[in-house]
Amino acid sequence: MAKFLFVYRAPPMDGPPPSPEQMQAVLAAWGDWIGKFAQAGSIVDAGDGLKETGRVLNSKGVVTDGPFVEAKEVLGGYSIIQAPDYDAALKVAKACPAAQYGSIEIRELAGYN
Amino acid sequence: MPGATGTLVDHFFRHEYGRLVAVLTRSLGLKRLDLVEDAVQSALTQAMQTWPRRGIPDDPAAWLFRVAKHAALDALRREQTWDRIRDALRPGADYEPAERPPEDQVGDELLRLLVACCHDALPVESQVALALKAVCGFSVGEIARALLTTQANVQKRLTRAKEKLREVEFEPAALVPDQLASRLDAVLTILYLIFNEGYAATSSDDLIRQDLCQEAARLTLLLAEHTEAAAAQALFALMCFQAARFDARLSAGGDLVLLADQDRSRWDRTLIEQGWSWLRVAARGDVLTRYHLEAALAAEHGLAPTFAATNWQRIVGLYDQLLRLEPSPLHVLNRAIAIAYLHGPQAALACMEPWTPRGGPKGYPYWPATLGELHRRLGHFEQARHYLEQALELTQSLPERHLLEQRLRWCAAGLAHVEAEPA
Repeated sequence: MAKFLFVYRAPPMDGPPPSPEQMQAVLAAWGDWIGKFAQAGSIVDAGDGLKETGRVLNSKGVVTDGPFVEAKEVLGGYSIIQAPDYDAALKVAKACPAAQYGSIEIRELAGYN
Repeated sequence: MPGATGTLVDHFFRHEYGRLVAVLTRSLGLKRLDLVEDAVQSALTQAMQTWPRRGIPDDPAAWLFRVAKHAALDALRREQTWDRIRDALRPGADYEPAERPPEDQVGDELLRLLVACCHDALPVESQVALALKAVCGFSVGEIARALLTTQANVQKRLTRAKEKLREVEFEPAALVPDQLASRLDAVLTILYLIFNEGYAATSSDDLIRQDLCQEAARLTLLLAEHTEAAAAQALFALMCFQAARFDARLSAGGDLVLLADQDRSRWDRTLIEQGWSWLRVAARGDVLTRYHLEAALAAEHGLAPTFAATNWQRIVGLYDQLLRLEPSPLHVLNRAIAIAYLHGPQAALACMEPWTPRGGPKGYPYWPATLGELHRRLGHFEQARHYLEQALELTQSLPERHLLEQRLRWCAAGLAHVEAEPA
Protein backbone atom coordinates (compact mmCIF):
# COMPACT_ATOMS: atom_id res chain seq x y z
CA MET A 1 0.00 0.00 0.00
CA ALA A 2 1.50 3.30 -1.09
CA LYS A 3 1.09 6.57 0.71
CA PHE A 4 0.10 9.77 -1.05
CA LEU A 5 0.30 13.38 -0.02
CA PHE A 6 -2.72 15.46 -0.99
CA VAL A 7 -1.90 19.14 -1.27
CA TYR A 8 -4.89 21.42 -1.43
CA ARG A 9 -4.69 24.66 -3.34
CA ALA A 10 -7.45 27.15 -3.93
CA PRO A 11 -7.75 30.58 -5.51
CA PRO A 12 -7.13 33.32 -2.93
CA MET A 13 -10.34 34.56 -1.40
CA ASP A 14 -11.64 37.73 -2.84
CA GLY A 15 -15.14 39.00 -2.65
CA PRO A 16 -17.36 38.51 0.33
CA PRO A 17 -16.48 35.78 2.82
CA PRO A 18 -18.68 32.70 2.85
CA SER A 19 -21.77 32.90 5.00
CA PRO A 20 -22.10 30.88 8.20
CA GLU A 21 -24.57 28.66 6.36
CA GLN A 22 -22.08 27.98 3.55
CA MET A 23 -19.31 27.29 6.04
CA GLN A 24 -21.44 24.73 7.83
CA ALA A 25 -22.09 23.04 4.49
CA VAL A 26 -18.33 22.89 3.76
CA LEU A 27 -17.69 21.47 7.22
CA ALA A 28 -20.31 18.81 6.68
CA ALA A 29 -18.81 17.89 3.29
CA TRP A 30 -15.33 17.46 4.78
CA GLY A 31 -16.73 15.53 7.70
CA ASP A 32 -18.47 13.13 5.32
CA TRP A 33 -15.38 12.68 3.19
CA ILE A 34 -13.00 12.08 6.07
CA GLY A 35 -15.52 9.89 7.86
CA LYS A 36 -16.09 7.72 4.80
CA PHE A 37 -12.48 7.21 3.79
CA ALA A 38 -11.16 6.90 7.32
CA GLN A 39 -13.53 4.02 7.84
CA ALA A 40 -12.34 2.45 4.60
CA GLY A 41 -8.77 2.78 5.90
CA SER A 42 -7.66 5.18 3.16
CA ILE A 43 -6.87 8.15 5.35
CA VAL A 44 -3.58 7.89 7.21
CA ASP A 45 -3.62 11.45 8.48
CA ALA A 46 -6.42 13.88 7.77
CA GLY A 47 -3.76 16.55 8.00
CA ASP A 48 -4.60 20.13 8.72
CA GLY A 49 -5.60 23.41 7.19
CA LEU A 50 -3.03 26.16 6.83
CA LYS A 51 -3.39 29.71 8.05
CA GLU A 52 -3.38 32.29 5.32
CA THR A 53 -0.10 34.01 6.02
CA GLY A 54 3.41 32.83 6.83
CA ARG A 55 7.10 33.51 6.24
CA VAL A 56 9.33 32.57 3.35
CA LEU A 57 13.06 31.98 3.84
CA ASN A 58 15.04 31.95 0.62
CA SER A 59 18.49 30.56 -0.09
CA LYS A 60 20.11 33.93 0.54
CA GLY A 61 18.79 33.87 4.04
CA VAL A 62 16.22 36.58 3.35
CA VAL A 63 12.95 36.24 5.18
CA THR A 64 9.85 37.72 3.64
CA ASP A 65 6.22 37.64 4.49
CA GLY A 66 4.53 34.99 2.48
CA PRO A 67 3.08 33.07 0.93
CA PHE A 68 3.04 34.69 -2.43
CA VAL A 69 -0.25 36.49 -2.32
CA GLU A 70 -0.13 37.17 -6.05
CA ALA A 71 -0.22 33.45 -6.76
CA LYS A 72 -3.22 32.14 -8.63
CA GLU A 73 -3.73 29.47 -6.02
CA VAL A 74 -2.67 29.41 -2.42
CA LEU A 75 -1.76 26.43 -0.32
CA GLY A 76 -4.70 25.67 1.92
CA GLY A 77 -4.04 22.34 3.57
CA TYR A 78 -2.87 18.75 3.23
CA SER A 79 -3.77 15.15 4.04
CA ILE A 80 -1.99 11.82 3.79
CA ILE A 81 -3.81 8.98 2.08
CA GLN A 82 -2.95 5.35 1.52
CA ALA A 83 -4.02 3.53 -1.61
CA PRO A 84 -2.75 0.70 -3.83
CA ASP A 85 -2.03 3.03 -6.77
CA TYR A 86 -2.61 6.43 -8.32
CA ASP A 87 -5.97 5.42 -9.75
CA ALA A 88 -7.26 4.48 -6.33
CA ALA A 89 -5.81 7.66 -4.80
CA LEU A 90 -7.51 9.69 -7.53
CA LYS A 91 -10.84 8.16 -6.61
CA VAL A 92 -10.40 9.42 -3.06
CA ALA A 93 -9.33 12.85 -4.36
CA LYS A 94 -12.29 13.15 -6.69
CA ALA A 95 -14.67 12.69 -3.77
CA CYS A 96 -12.82 15.32 -1.71
CA PRO A 97 -14.61 18.64 -1.12
CA ALA A 98 -11.38 20.51 -1.92
CA ALA A 99 -11.77 19.39 -5.53
CA GLN A 100 -14.84 21.57 -5.79
CA TYR A 101 -13.22 24.89 -5.09
CA GLY A 102 -9.55 24.33 -5.94
CA SER A 103 -6.99 21.81 -7.07
CA ILE A 104 -5.53 18.78 -5.33
CA GLU A 105 -1.96 17.84 -6.08
CA ILE A 106 -1.39 14.15 -5.48
CA ARG A 107 2.18 12.98 -4.82
CA GLU A 108 3.29 9.52 -3.83
CA LEU A 109 5.58 9.49 -0.80
CA ALA A 110 8.99 8.08 -1.73
CA GLY A 111 9.19 6.11 1.51
CA TYR A 112 12.90 6.80 2.13
CA ASN A 113 12.57 6.28 5.85
CA MET B 1 -8.50 9.08 14.95
CA PRO B 2 -9.71 11.42 12.29
CA GLY B 3 -13.32 11.72 11.28
CA ALA B 4 -16.15 13.90 12.35
CA THR B 5 -17.92 12.75 15.48
CA GLY B 6 -21.57 13.52 15.26
CA THR B 7 -23.12 16.30 13.25
CA LEU B 8 -24.38 19.80 13.93
CA VAL B 9 -28.00 20.79 14.00
CA ASP B 10 -29.34 22.71 11.00
CA HIS B 11 -28.38 26.38 10.95
CA PHE B 12 -26.00 25.86 13.89
CA PHE B 13 -23.36 28.18 12.42
CA ARG B 14 -25.88 30.80 11.40
CA HIS B 15 -27.47 30.89 14.83
CA GLU B 16 -24.14 30.80 16.63
CA TYR B 17 -23.05 33.75 14.53
CA GLY B 18 -25.87 35.90 15.92
CA ARG B 19 -25.34 34.69 19.46
CA LEU B 20 -21.59 35.33 19.37
CA VAL B 21 -21.97 38.77 17.82
CA ALA B 22 -24.56 39.59 20.46
CA VAL B 23 -22.49 38.44 23.41
CA LEU B 24 -19.25 40.03 22.18
CA THR B 25 -20.79 43.39 21.29
CA ARG B 26 -22.18 43.41 24.79
CA SER B 27 -18.62 43.44 26.11
CA LEU B 28 -16.97 45.49 23.41
CA GLY B 29 -19.74 47.86 22.46
CA LEU B 30 -21.72 48.20 19.31
CA LYS B 31 -19.07 50.56 17.96
CA ARG B 32 -16.95 47.47 17.47
CA LEU B 33 -19.55 45.63 15.46
CA ASP B 34 -17.23 45.24 12.45
CA LEU B 35 -14.36 43.93 14.56
CA VAL B 36 -16.69 41.54 16.36
CA GLU B 37 -18.18 40.26 13.12
CA ASP B 38 -14.70 39.61 11.72
CA ALA B 39 -13.72 37.75 14.88
CA VAL B 40 -16.81 35.58 14.76
CA GLN B 41 -16.27 34.91 11.08
CA SER B 42 -12.72 33.79 11.73
CA ALA B 43 -13.84 31.49 14.55
CA LEU B 44 -16.31 29.83 12.22
CA THR B 45 -13.60 29.52 9.56
CA GLN B 46 -11.30 27.79 12.03
CA ALA B 47 -14.08 25.45 13.04
CA MET B 48 -14.77 24.67 9.41
CA GLN B 49 -11.12 23.70 8.90
CA THR B 50 -10.46 21.94 12.19
CA TRP B 51 -13.58 20.06 13.13
CA PRO B 52 -13.71 17.59 10.26
CA ARG B 53 -10.16 16.49 11.13
CA ARG B 54 -10.33 16.49 14.91
CA GLY B 55 -14.00 15.80 15.35
CA ILE B 56 -16.68 18.19 16.49
CA PRO B 57 -15.96 19.22 20.10
CA ASP B 58 -18.28 18.10 22.86
CA ASP B 59 -19.44 21.64 23.37
CA PRO B 60 -19.17 23.29 19.94
CA ALA B 61 -20.79 26.52 21.11
CA ALA B 62 -18.23 26.96 23.88
CA TRP B 63 -15.39 26.19 21.46
CA LEU B 64 -16.58 28.86 19.04
CA PHE B 65 -17.05 31.35 21.83
CA ARG B 66 -13.51 30.82 23.11
CA VAL B 67 -11.95 31.17 19.67
CA ALA B 68 -14.07 34.17 18.69
CA LYS B 69 -13.25 35.90 21.97
CA HIS B 70 -9.52 35.44 21.44
CA ALA B 71 -9.77 36.62 17.85
CA ALA B 72 -11.56 39.74 19.03
CA LEU B 73 -8.94 40.39 21.72
CA ASP B 74 -6.12 39.91 19.20
CA ALA B 75 -7.74 42.38 16.86
CA LEU B 76 -8.10 44.90 19.67
CA ARG B 77 -4.45 44.54 20.65
CA ARG B 78 -3.38 45.00 17.07
CA GLU B 79 -5.25 48.24 17.00
CA GLN B 80 -3.40 49.20 20.17
CA THR B 81 -6.48 50.79 21.50
CA TRP B 82 -6.63 48.36 24.33
CA ASP B 83 -6.51 50.97 27.06
CA ARG B 84 -9.05 53.19 25.44
CA ILE B 85 -11.43 50.33 24.98
CA ARG B 86 -10.97 49.14 28.52
CA ASP B 87 -11.76 52.59 29.83
CA ALA B 88 -14.80 52.81 27.65
CA LEU B 89 -16.27 49.65 29.00
CA ARG B 90 -19.22 50.03 31.27
CA PRO B 91 -18.16 50.27 34.92
CA GLY B 92 -17.86 46.98 36.69
CA ALA B 93 -17.85 45.08 33.46
CA ASP B 94 -15.58 42.11 33.49
CA TYR B 95 -13.65 42.55 30.30
CA GLU B 96 -12.72 38.93 29.90
CA PRO B 97 -16.00 37.25 29.16
CA ALA B 98 -16.36 33.86 30.81
CA GLU B 99 -15.52 30.68 28.96
CA ARG B 100 -19.07 30.62 27.77
CA PRO B 101 -22.03 32.83 28.59
CA PRO B 102 -24.82 31.28 30.63
CA GLU B 103 -27.60 29.99 28.42
CA ASP B 104 -30.35 32.29 29.70
CA GLN B 105 -28.12 35.32 29.17
CA VAL B 106 -27.62 34.51 25.51
CA GLY B 107 -31.29 35.15 24.79
CA ASP B 108 -31.02 38.52 26.48
CA GLU B 109 -27.95 39.45 24.47
CA LEU B 110 -29.53 38.40 21.22
CA LEU B 111 -32.59 40.55 21.92
CA ARG B 112 -30.35 43.42 22.95
CA LEU B 113 -28.57 43.24 19.61
CA LEU B 114 -31.87 42.99 17.78
CA VAL B 115 -33.18 46.07 19.55
CA ALA B 116 -29.98 47.89 18.67
CA CYS B 117 -30.44 47.00 15.00
CA CYS B 118 -33.96 48.44 15.15
CA HIS B 119 -32.70 51.88 16.13
CA ASP B 120 -35.08 54.57 14.91
CA ALA B 121 -32.20 56.64 13.56
CA LEU B 122 -31.94 54.04 10.80
CA PRO B 123 -34.28 53.73 7.84
CA VAL B 124 -36.41 50.61 8.06
CA GLU B 125 -34.68 48.88 5.15
CA SER B 126 -31.32 49.32 6.88
CA GLN B 127 -32.77 47.94 10.09
CA VAL B 128 -33.88 44.85 8.23
CA ALA B 129 -30.52 44.37 6.52
CA LEU B 130 -28.57 44.90 9.73
CA ALA B 131 -30.78 42.54 11.72
CA LEU B 132 -30.41 39.86 9.07
CA LYS B 133 -26.65 40.29 9.00
CA ALA B 134 -25.76 40.68 12.66
CA VAL B 135 -28.53 38.75 14.41
CA CYS B 136 -29.43 36.10 11.85
CA GLY B 137 -25.97 35.50 10.35
CA PHE B 138 -27.02 36.04 6.73
CA SER B 139 -24.30 36.93 4.24
CA VAL B 140 -24.61 40.01 2.07
CA GLY B 141 -25.44 37.78 -0.88
CA GLU B 142 -28.17 35.96 1.02
CA ILE B 143 -29.71 39.24 2.16
CA ALA B 144 -29.67 40.54 -1.40
CA ARG B 145 -31.42 37.40 -2.62
CA ALA B 146 -33.97 37.54 0.17
CA LEU B 147 -34.80 41.21 -0.28
CA LEU B 148 -34.61 41.16 -4.08
CA THR B 149 -31.90 43.73 -4.32
CA THR B 150 -28.24 43.87 -5.28
CA GLN B 151 -25.31 42.96 -3.07
CA ALA B 152 -23.93 46.46 -3.56
CA ASN B 153 -27.15 47.94 -2.29
CA VAL B 154 -27.15 45.70 0.79
CA GLN B 155 -23.51 46.56 1.43
CA LYS B 156 -24.33 50.25 1.20
CA ARG B 157 -27.22 49.91 3.63
CA LEU B 158 -25.07 48.01 6.09
CA THR B 159 -22.19 50.46 5.92
CA ARG B 160 -24.46 53.42 6.47
CA ALA B 161 -26.31 51.67 9.26
CA LYS B 162 -23.08 50.92 11.08
CA GLU B 163 -21.83 54.48 10.64
CA LYS B 164 -25.08 55.78 11.97
CA LEU B 165 -24.95 53.48 14.96
CA ARG B 166 -21.46 54.73 15.80
CA GLU B 167 -22.73 58.28 15.48
CA VAL B 168 -25.69 57.94 17.79
CA GLU B 169 -23.50 56.05 20.25
CA PHE B 170 -26.35 53.82 21.18
CA GLU B 171 -25.04 51.03 23.34
CA PRO B 172 -27.21 48.00 23.76
CA ALA B 173 -25.51 47.50 27.11
CA ALA B 174 -27.54 50.42 28.36
CA LEU B 175 -30.73 48.68 27.54
CA VAL B 176 -32.99 48.02 30.49
CA PRO B 177 -36.33 46.21 30.33
CA ASP B 178 -38.24 49.50 30.16
CA GLN B 179 -36.36 50.49 27.04
CA LEU B 180 -37.04 47.17 25.47
CA ALA B 181 -40.72 47.76 26.12
CA SER B 182 -40.61 51.20 24.52
CA ARG B 183 -38.92 49.80 21.42
CA LEU B 184 -40.89 46.64 21.27
CA ASP B 185 -43.16 48.05 18.56
CA ALA B 186 -40.25 48.84 16.29
CA VAL B 187 -38.72 45.42 16.86
CA LEU B 188 -41.99 43.61 16.19
CA THR B 189 -42.52 45.65 13.04
CA ILE B 190 -39.15 44.53 11.72
CA LEU B 191 -39.81 40.88 12.57
CA TYR B 192 -43.23 41.10 10.96
CA LEU B 193 -41.62 42.60 7.87
CA ILE B 194 -38.94 39.95 7.66
CA PHE B 195 -41.54 37.22 8.02
CA ASN B 196 -43.78 38.70 5.35
CA GLU B 197 -40.87 39.18 3.00
CA GLY B 198 -40.22 35.47 3.31
CA TYR B 199 -43.88 34.53 3.16
CA ALA B 200 -44.92 36.62 0.18
CA ALA B 201 -43.81 34.84 -2.94
CA THR B 202 -41.85 37.82 -4.19
CA SER B 203 -38.53 36.08 -4.29
CA SER B 204 -38.01 33.12 -6.53
CA ASP B 205 -35.62 31.47 -4.14
CA ASP B 206 -37.66 29.06 -2.09
CA LEU B 207 -35.04 28.10 0.45
CA ILE B 208 -33.99 31.57 1.39
CA ARG B 209 -37.63 32.56 1.82
CA GLN B 210 -38.22 29.74 4.28
CA ASP B 211 -35.12 30.81 6.15
CA LEU B 212 -36.45 34.35 6.47
CA CYS B 213 -39.69 33.08 7.98
CA GLN B 214 -37.86 30.75 10.32
CA GLU B 215 -35.51 33.46 11.52
CA ALA B 216 -38.32 35.93 12.12
CA ALA B 217 -40.30 33.29 14.00
CA ARG B 218 -37.30 32.23 16.06
CA LEU B 219 -36.65 35.78 17.25
CA THR B 220 -40.32 36.50 17.83
CA LEU B 221 -40.56 33.41 19.99
CA LEU B 222 -37.53 34.58 21.92
CA LEU B 223 -39.23 37.94 22.47
CA ALA B 224 -42.52 36.32 23.40
CA GLU B 225 -40.80 34.15 25.98
CA HIS B 226 -38.46 36.76 27.38
CA THR B 227 -40.72 39.78 27.57
CA GLU B 228 -44.06 38.07 27.95
CA ALA B 229 -45.41 40.97 25.91
CA ALA B 230 -48.86 40.15 24.55
CA ALA B 231 -48.06 41.76 21.19
CA ALA B 232 -45.05 39.48 20.71
CA GLN B 233 -47.05 36.42 21.72
CA ALA B 234 -49.82 37.34 19.30
CA LEU B 235 -47.32 37.94 16.50
CA PHE B 236 -45.79 34.54 17.12
CA ALA B 237 -49.26 32.97 17.00
CA LEU B 238 -49.84 34.71 13.66
CA MET B 239 -46.55 33.37 12.31
CA CYS B 240 -47.49 29.83 13.36
CA PHE B 241 -50.81 30.02 11.51
CA GLN B 242 -49.17 31.45 8.39
CA ALA B 243 -46.28 29.02 8.45
CA ALA B 244 -48.76 26.14 8.67
CA ARG B 245 -49.85 27.02 5.14
CA PHE B 246 -46.37 27.54 3.74
CA ASP B 247 -46.21 24.41 1.60
CA ALA B 248 -49.84 24.41 0.54
CA ARG B 249 -49.47 27.89 -0.99
CA LEU B 250 -47.42 26.69 -3.93
CA SER B 251 -48.31 24.02 -6.42
CA ALA B 252 -45.81 21.40 -7.53
CA GLY B 253 -45.06 23.66 -10.51
CA GLY B 254 -44.33 26.61 -8.22
CA ASP B 255 -47.58 28.43 -8.98
CA LEU B 256 -49.39 30.34 -6.31
CA VAL B 257 -52.38 28.51 -4.85
CA LEU B 258 -54.98 30.84 -3.38
CA LEU B 259 -56.54 30.11 -0.03
CA ALA B 260 -59.74 29.01 -1.75
CA ASP B 261 -57.93 26.34 -3.75
CA GLN B 262 -55.46 25.10 -1.16
CA ASP B 263 -55.42 21.46 -0.19
CA ARG B 264 -56.21 21.84 3.50
CA SER B 265 -54.85 18.42 4.33
CA ARG B 266 -51.43 19.87 3.54
CA TRP B 267 -51.72 22.44 6.29
CA ASP B 268 -49.45 21.71 9.21
CA ARG B 269 -51.80 20.85 12.07
CA THR B 270 -49.03 20.98 14.67
CA LEU B 271 -48.25 24.57 13.79
CA ILE B 272 -51.92 25.50 13.84
CA GLU B 273 -52.19 23.96 17.33
CA GLN B 274 -49.15 25.93 18.42
CA GLY B 275 -50.70 29.07 17.01
CA TRP B 276 -53.80 28.46 19.06
CA SER B 277 -51.95 27.96 22.31
CA TRP B 278 -49.93 31.15 21.79
CA LEU B 279 -53.02 33.08 20.85
CA ARG B 280 -54.65 31.93 24.09
CA VAL B 281 -51.60 33.08 26.03
CA ALA B 282 -51.62 36.43 24.21
CA ALA B 283 -55.30 36.95 24.98
CA ARG B 284 -54.89 36.63 28.74
CA GLY B 285 -54.32 40.33 29.43
CA ASP B 286 -56.33 43.31 28.26
CA VAL B 287 -53.97 44.26 25.43
CA LEU B 288 -55.36 44.08 21.92
CA THR B 289 -52.95 44.67 19.04
CA ARG B 290 -53.16 44.30 15.29
CA TYR B 291 -51.23 41.08 15.70
CA HIS B 292 -54.01 39.68 17.90
CA LEU B 293 -56.58 40.46 15.25
CA GLU B 294 -54.47 39.23 12.37
CA ALA B 295 -53.74 36.03 14.27
CA ALA B 296 -57.45 35.62 14.97
CA LEU B 297 -58.14 36.04 11.26
CA ALA B 298 -55.58 33.42 10.34
CA ALA B 299 -56.99 31.16 13.05
CA GLU B 300 -60.47 31.58 11.64
CA HIS B 301 -59.28 30.31 8.26
CA GLY B 302 -57.50 27.45 9.98
CA LEU B 303 -60.75 26.43 11.66
CA ALA B 304 -62.76 26.08 8.47
CA PRO B 305 -62.68 22.50 7.18
CA THR B 306 -63.29 23.76 3.64
CA PHE B 307 -63.09 27.15 2.00
CA ALA B 308 -66.86 27.16 1.49
CA ALA B 309 -67.32 26.64 5.23
CA THR B 310 -65.36 29.80 6.10
CA ASN B 311 -67.19 32.00 8.55
CA TRP B 312 -67.07 35.21 6.48
CA GLN B 313 -69.30 37.05 8.92
CA ARG B 314 -66.71 36.67 11.68
CA ILE B 315 -63.90 37.52 9.30
CA VAL B 316 -65.55 40.77 8.26
CA GLY B 317 -66.12 41.53 11.97
CA LEU B 318 -62.41 41.05 12.70
CA TYR B 319 -61.46 43.34 9.81
CA ASP B 320 -63.84 45.95 11.18
CA GLN B 321 -61.99 45.83 14.49
CA LEU B 322 -58.65 45.93 12.69
CA LEU B 323 -59.72 49.02 10.75
CA ARG B 324 -60.76 50.77 13.94
CA LEU B 325 -57.38 49.98 15.46
CA GLU B 326 -55.35 50.76 12.37
CA PRO B 327 -57.08 52.32 9.38
CA SER B 328 -54.97 50.97 6.56
CA PRO B 329 -55.90 50.50 2.91
CA LEU B 330 -54.53 46.96 3.14
CA HIS B 331 -57.15 46.04 5.69
CA VAL B 332 -59.79 47.75 3.51
CA LEU B 333 -58.71 45.51 0.68
CA ASN B 334 -58.82 42.31 2.69
CA ARG B 335 -62.16 43.23 4.21
CA ALA B 336 -63.51 43.83 0.70
CA ILE B 337 -62.41 40.34 -0.34
CA ALA B 338 -64.28 38.88 2.64
CA ILE B 339 -67.31 41.00 1.73
CA ALA B 340 -67.15 39.57 -1.79
CA TYR B 341 -67.62 36.08 -0.37
CA LEU B 342 -70.33 37.22 1.99
CA HIS B 343 -72.34 39.60 -0.21
CA GLY B 344 -70.88 39.26 -3.69
CA PRO B 345 -68.43 41.22 -5.86
CA GLN B 346 -70.64 44.29 -6.27
CA ALA B 347 -70.70 44.93 -2.52
CA ALA B 348 -66.94 44.40 -2.38
CA LEU B 349 -66.32 46.97 -5.12
CA ALA B 350 -68.44 49.44 -3.17
CA CYS B 351 -66.15 49.00 -0.14
CA MET B 352 -63.08 49.72 -2.22
CA GLU B 353 -64.61 52.63 -4.10
CA PRO B 354 -63.58 55.44 -1.72
CA TRP B 355 -59.94 54.44 -2.17
CA THR B 356 -59.90 53.48 -5.81
CA PRO B 357 -59.56 56.93 -7.41
CA ARG B 358 -56.13 57.12 -5.81
CA GLY B 359 -55.41 53.63 -7.09
CA GLY B 360 -55.07 52.19 -3.61
CA PRO B 361 -51.68 52.07 -1.91
CA LYS B 362 -48.96 53.09 -4.30
CA GLY B 363 -47.07 50.31 -6.01
CA TYR B 364 -49.18 47.66 -4.32
CA PRO B 365 -50.19 45.03 -6.92
CA TYR B 366 -52.91 43.37 -4.85
CA TRP B 367 -55.20 46.39 -5.07
CA PRO B 368 -55.63 46.44 -8.86
CA ALA B 369 -55.41 42.64 -8.91
CA THR B 370 -58.42 42.42 -6.62
CA LEU B 371 -60.33 45.09 -8.55
CA GLY B 372 -59.64 43.17 -11.75
CA GLU B 373 -60.83 39.90 -10.27
CA LEU B 374 -64.02 41.44 -8.87
CA HIS B 375 -64.86 43.06 -12.22
CA ARG B 376 -64.19 39.78 -13.99
CA ARG B 377 -66.64 37.98 -11.75
CA LEU B 378 -69.20 40.64 -12.60
CA GLY B 379 -68.55 40.14 -16.29
CA HIS B 380 -66.97 43.60 -16.72
CA PHE B 381 -64.16 42.18 -18.82
CA GLU B 382 -62.96 45.49 -20.21
CA GLN B 383 -62.42 47.03 -16.75
CA ALA B 384 -61.09 43.73 -15.45
CA ARG B 385 -58.39 43.68 -18.09
CA HIS B 386 -57.40 47.25 -17.33
CA TYR B 387 -56.80 46.49 -13.65
CA LEU B 388 -55.18 43.10 -14.17
CA GLU B 389 -52.69 44.64 -16.56
CA GLN B 390 -52.01 47.38 -14.06
CA ALA B 391 -51.29 44.72 -11.43
CA LEU B 392 -48.97 42.86 -13.81
CA GLU B 393 -46.81 45.94 -14.07
CA LEU B 394 -46.40 46.04 -10.32
CA THR B 395 -45.24 42.53 -9.46
CA GLN B 396 -42.01 40.70 -10.26
CA SER B 397 -43.11 37.52 -8.57
CA LEU B 398 -43.44 34.70 -11.09
CA PRO B 399 -46.23 32.80 -9.29
CA GLU B 400 -48.20 36.03 -8.96
CA ARG B 401 -47.67 36.88 -12.61
CA HIS B 402 -48.84 33.44 -13.67
CA LEU B 403 -52.01 33.90 -11.68
CA LEU B 404 -52.71 37.32 -13.20
CA GLU B 405 -52.04 36.05 -16.71
CA GLN B 406 -54.47 33.21 -16.13
CA ARG B 407 -57.16 35.71 -15.04
CA LEU B 408 -56.48 37.72 -18.19
CA ARG B 409 -57.00 34.59 -20.28
CA TRP B 410 -60.30 34.01 -18.54
CA CYS B 411 -61.31 37.59 -19.37
CA ALA B 412 -60.38 37.08 -23.00
CA ALA B 413 -62.50 33.92 -23.05
CA GLY B 414 -65.38 35.77 -21.42
CA LEU B 415 -65.27 33.55 -18.34
CA ALA B 416 -66.88 35.24 -15.36
CA HIS B 417 -67.83 32.33 -13.18
CA VAL B 418 -64.72 30.18 -13.07
CA GLU B 419 -63.37 30.16 -9.53
CA ALA B 420 -60.59 27.71 -10.16
CA GLU B 421 -59.12 26.12 -13.23
CA PRO B 422 -60.10 22.46 -13.62
CA ALA B 423 -57.18 20.29 -12.56
